[in-house]
Amino acid sequence: MNAVSAGDSDAATLVTVLGALETVILGKPEQIRLCLACLLARGHLLIEDVPGVGKTTLAHALAHVLGLAWQRVQFTSDLLPADIIGVSIFDRASQRFNFRQGPIFTQLLLADEVNRASPRTQSALLEAMEERQVSADGTTYPLPEPFFVVATQNPHEQLGTYALPESQLDRFLMRVTLGYPDVAHERELLRGGERRELLSRMAPALSAAAVLRVQRAVRAVHVADALLDYTQALIARTRERSDLKIGLSPRAGQGLLRAAQAWSYLAGRPAVLPEDVQAVLPAVVAHRLERRDPTGGGDGDALAREFIRAVPVPP
Amino acid sequence: MAAAPAPPADREALRPLAWACAAFAGGVLLNCDRVPAWTPATALLLIAWRLTTERSGARLPGTVARALLALAVVAVVLWRFHTLNGLAAGTALLMLMSTLKLLETRARRDQLVMVGAGLFLLLAACLDRQSLARLPLYALQAWLCCSALAVVASAGFGARAALQLAGRALLLALPLAVALFLFFPRLPGAFWAIPRGGEALTGLSDSMSPGSIVKLVADYDPAFRVQFAARAPPAEELYWRGPVLHDFDGHTWRRTSGVFHLRQRLQYLGTPYRYRVALEPTRQRWWFALDTPAQSPDTNVLLTYDNQLLGAEPLTEPISFDVLSYTHTRALEPLGAFGRQQDTALPPGANPRSVGLAQTLRQRAGSDADFVQAILDYLRTGGFVYTLTPEALGADAVDDFVFDTRAGFCGHYASAFVTLMRAAHVPARVVTGYLGGEWNPIGGYFVVRQSDAHAWAEVWLEGRGWTRIDPTAVVAPERLRRGVFDLLPDALATRARLLRGSAWLTGLLQRWDAANAWWSDHVVKFDYSAQLDLLGRFGIRSPDVRYLGWAFTLALLGWLAFIAWHIGRSARPAPPDALARAYARLCHKLARIGPPRAPHQGPLSFAATVTTHRPDLKDSVHALLARYAQLRYGPAAPASRAQDIEEFRRAVARLSLSRAVGGRQ
Repeated sequence: MNAVSAGDSDAATLVTVLGALETVILGKPEQIRLCLACLLARGHLLIEDVPGVGKTTLAHALAHVLGLAWQRVQFTSDLLPADIIGVSIFDRASQRFNFRQGPIFTQLLLADEVNRASPRTQSALLEAMEERQVSADGTTYPLPEPFFVVATQNPHEQLGTYALPESQLDRFLMRVTLGYPDVAHERELLRGGERRELLSRMAPALSAAAVLRVQRAVRAVHVADALLDYTQALIARTRERSDLKIGLSPRAGQGLLRAAQAWSYLAGRPAVLPEDVQAVLPAVVAHRLERRDPTGGGDGDALAREFIRAVPVPP
Repeated sequence: MAAAPAPPADREALRPLAWACAAFAGGVLLNCDRVPAWTPATALLLIAWRLTTERSGARLPGTVARALLALAVVAVVLWRFHTLNGLAAGTALLMLMSTLKLLETRARRDQLVMVGAGLFLLLAACLDRQSLARLPLYALQAWLCCSALAVVASAGFGARAALQLAGRALLLALPLAVALFLFFPRLPGAFWAIPRGGEALTGLSDSMSPGSIVKLVADYDPAFRVQFAARAPPAEELYWRGPVLHDFDGHTWRRTSGVFHLRQRLQYLGTPYRYRVALEPTRQRWWFALDTPAQSPDTNVLLTYDNQLLGAEPLTEPISFDVLSYTHTRALEPLGAFGRQQDTALPPGANPRSVGLAQTLRQRAGSDADFVQAILDYLRTGGFVYTLTPEALGADAVDDFVFDTRAGFCGHYASAFVTLMRAAHVPARVVTGYLGGEWNPIGGYFVVRQSDAHAWAEVWLEGRGWTRIDPTAVVAPERLRRGVFDLLPDALATRARLLRGSAWLTGLLQRWDAANAWWSDHVVKFDYSAQLDLLGRFGIRSPDVRYLGWAFTLALLGWLAFIAWHIGRSARPAPPDALARAYARLCHKLARIGPPRAPHQGPLSFAATVTTHRPDLKDSVHALLARYAQLRYGPAAPASRAQDIEEFRRAVARLSLSRAVGGRQ
């Protein structure tokens, strides 16, 4: 009984979380919901857009509203793995090496402009993301729970950046693009002050413990065989396409289902519906699909919508 | 996103070209032994060069260079073959010209042309040779070309997927091919006949000089196969008549040309033998038959005065024919003066010692028959030896043989015997052909090989007519029993002995030969008349081409329908259950008041669509669709599920779409 009431209150809190986030990032309820679903599905999030549309603000707001400890690392080309993971320092007093934890030992790591770092540093981060632990000097240090990475990158900036390869993009559960606000919201933005200032006035709505609880509840959202059929048909469709370099990996399939569960949970449904899968599909698969011929057709987002239209929902 | 055309992408781009090249190279290799070696070598070198340039990104030659190259190729082919027509020249030209196409192969369309060239070369090979042994090669090439088509058409195909697709497509097409083969109206005669030139004649030739037959002895290829309708003659009667030679110049025996005699009337003695001969193409005019055929098997074939079957045209395709033969005959008419003169003529002054010997023995003998016996006795007792490696003979070859070397094979004995007969004015002639044959128990036929080539003699005996005498049989009776192989010198016989050494291998060879015979009889020789026979078996007796057309069209349509059904069946989803039926009914019902459910729409988004059209139905429609969503996607319901579905079905039936009070707006 207790658990149920806690669950119910969590669900109610999430509605307020969404509301709070929407006051910070104006006019993007869909994207905010996706970002939240991504974190609730224990996934890492990649926010990709041009500078100045509120990527960092959104990441910041997420951490703040969820009540998580967070760190921010601005990625640059001279950033070293040790700058993220930590470093062993010789302590004269004890005549021993002590591991000094890097910024990654936090609950939400905001990796700003992740494509500016060298591949070596990127891969150190991405390994930690996948394993949820860090190894240094032969010792393994588990990362805190929950642990999220919210990375941002600017897709249009090419000079001096290292594009994340497909294998590493695959580790992000979702890629979300914010885009410019519409006229009304832009006006509101211009009229209002700095959005981040709002955050300081906002109280965290959840806590780390509550986030873990919600994550467990998300995993319990029912997935029927009929839905698995539909999901598999979608995944198979991406592998049949000859104009794609690769289809969706099994890991992507798992992620798709988890994201759909989270989406369903946010909508207050006890079971995943095809609509939930369709809602998260573009964000989950767009960054994993690449056409062989980069000039042909639309981007991954358009592709994902094509898949949705092409695969019938079984009656 | 940084597009990185790194080496892997290059390799990816190279793939369709590589497949097209492979398909083309396959076609080249199929034909490589029919054209001079420089042609396939050039083609393969250019393919390799083209693939490397594609990798390194070097430039292809320009229009002018290509035009000059094409002209040069035509010139070279003209220079080497003196024609552009015919199989060899045509194949070489096709090969080289398509290779030049590689130089301008850039787009997908060009690659398709390359694959087409590979298929065309396959067709050329099929027209040229249709033996069973090459069938797997042809099938492989067809498979390769179809896979290449798949890869070229859609770069997404991996090697395995392309091979699978092409294999499946070919297998599906196979029954269609069989139907085409059986029912497609065939025109009598080979209208696609291609001039073939410069090919070596095989088998016996129309002359015999010392050593000519021994060349055949090491040739294990079948000359023809014979199937007897009833009992086969005993092994010592299996004399297969080929060219009969009358003219002798002291060294070489030849057929008489330009002489036409009427065939004498014969009385046939002993058992008649009915049999069917399946003859391999010899590029010669004579057809082989057992000893004395009673009549010609074909209107185009002449049964000559010396009992040869002589065709109108050289044999370029394998043929089968039925003959009736006797092994013993009696002449009913005397030998004409002209015939007697022809078959007693000897080169003047040649072989004086033999002439002397013959005349002496003839004077001692009472009759021609006794004289024949005396000569045979002379050969038997004179220390004559059968060998396939005799010493070289001088100008008076028969004298040298009879008095000095006394060692030789069938050709020597037949030649010497006929010379001795003619020296005593007994008409005699040399008959070349084959002796014996290997019984194939699997196919139930004799296979006569080139190595069974033999030469014997016929003498005219008064009261009996032309009588077969085999002087070799006197000297080496084992030649008749065992065939020539045991008498061969080692160097020639190794392969043959190896083949005959093991019973297992012999069995295998016989099976293979039987398969070849079947293939040749039923597939290669399947012509218009065979087609009519087949249709006759199905009760279609009219030789009307239209019937064939109808049968073919029906078979075609039937099979296409099957393929369509097969594809449709694999794409069809599982039959709907009760819930799906109820849902389909609901969707159908709701489609009356708004747009129908799009196939990709889930229940809730469909509910949203419907309610935008009929806000008044919002509650009932939403409740029903949510109920469906719960039944379909919700947690597995308890035992009451069937009941719940039934309730849902009823609720769907009850749903009223009529508007509430107020009616239409």
